[in-house]
Amino acid sequence: MLTPAELVWLMAAVAKGDQAAFERLYVATRAKLYGVVLRILRRSDLADEVLQETYLKIWHSAGTFDPKIASPITWMVAIARNRALDLIRKKTEASLEDEPAAMEAAGEEVNPLARREMTEELRRLLGCLGQLQEDRRRMVLLAYYSGWSREQLSAKFDAPANTIKTWLRRSLMEIRECLGS
Amino acid sequence: MTMDEDRQGFAAEYALGTLDSDERAQAEALLLVDPDFSAAVRQWERRLGELNVLVAPVEPQDALWEQIRARIAAAGPTEPMRLPEVVVARPVAAAPSAEIIDLTQRVRRWRSVTAVTGALAAALVAVVVARDLRPDLMPASLQPRQQVVERVVEKEVVREVASARPAQFVAVFQKDEQSPSFVMTVDIDKRTVTVRQVAAERLADKSYQLWIATQPGGAPQSLGVLGNDEFTVKATLAAYDPAVINGATFGISLEPLGGSPTDRPTGPVIHARLLQVTPSQ
Repeated sequence: MLTPAELVWLMAAVAKGDQAAFERLYVATRAKLYGVVLRILRRSDLADEVLQETYLKIWHSAGTFDPKIASPITWMVAIARNRALDLIRKKTEASLEDEPAAMEAAGEEVNPLARREMTEELRRLLGCLGQLQEDRRRMVLLAYYSGWSREQLSAKFDAPANTIKTWLRRSLMEIRECLGS
Repeated sequence: MTMDEDRQGFAAEYALGTLDSDERAQAEALLLVDPDFSAAVRQWERRLGELNVLVAPVEPQDALWEQIRARIAAAGPTEPMRLPEVVVARPVAAAPSAEIIDLTQRVRRWRSVTAVTGALAAALVAVVVARDLRPDLMPASLQPRQQVVERVVEKEVVREVASARPAQFVAVFQKDEQSPSFVMTVDIDKRTVTVRQVAAERLADKSYQLWIATQPGGAPQSLGVLGNDEFTVKATLAAYDPAVINGATFGISLEPLGGSPTDRPTGPVIHARLLQVTPSQ
């Protein structure tokens, strides 16, 4: 992976329509983005489609990227996740019941090799997550990593969806306070 | 941060990913028109985005790059996303009416070249926003000449044709430039309408009522009173044809508690209109 500064430079070039820069950006980020969307969609055909959509969007809106607001990878991951979530929410509404087996795939195990790359911000975030109750923490991680909806969390944690919503929002506000920003 | 708890929580949950499809559509409409909401979402994306460091990378297949390139070539030169703000002020009748508002409709089509699970249709949702008239602060005789300000916002929405579900329609009812009051989504399939109070003042002795006007200049019909503590309400549009819903103007009026005593809006009205969403071939 390139450094964040290199990625910012590439983004600026992409915003000007530089196709070579776009290819370098793709090569540097595709595996991370694909990992993120595959985890949510769990089907490579859907993940392929979402990844294409994501890079098209990146190509067309690189000019709106603001390095003061987010790092390039955060910005790109947000685009990819939102596309994946839009797709999975529509699908899941139609076929929630054929999901339970896949739902058991835990969403919280992390990639141990990546611990070396752990940033200071991530350490702080994990510290804050660690202060949540065990089941609340699992909910947040299942939602973030695996794209679980309130309804799926409701089935898994045996609580009404509205209660899940309250818990999620409370947990997020606790995280925000803990991070202090 | 000046946002209320609901909106803050809504932004946080959007970034976390736990909203349902309707709510995501509403959040995406808010992102276009509400800078505070947008900033809150970006902050949450940044806070939570750190978690992605721990996601194991997975290499996609090589063919994907060629497909992306082909789609970019087909889409033409890159252009920044435009959010045209068409502000047209014009006098309207003092009596609240669900008059049809002219609007500038811009529909661009975005075509997919390589279909994978099915063709992708693209569409634009344009959101028309009419500014609230706030004569409730003064007696009727002192009301200033009222103005309706409209704004057209373009948004590209990519939809899957395979699901055979028509696109969802979104309208934002906006009190002023900075603060949308209600976001409405219409599911043409199920003929339901969902209204979320975003920043509307919750008044103990008043109710908000939703109206539909299907004819230009025609009489509005009530779709029901919005619950004061609930912030989402569904009313049925079963009596209306999808084509009629498409072209209708919607209004939300401020009424005495329990709704209008007549069959017309009696208080100030905020208008919005759904724009047609046209899927590509």
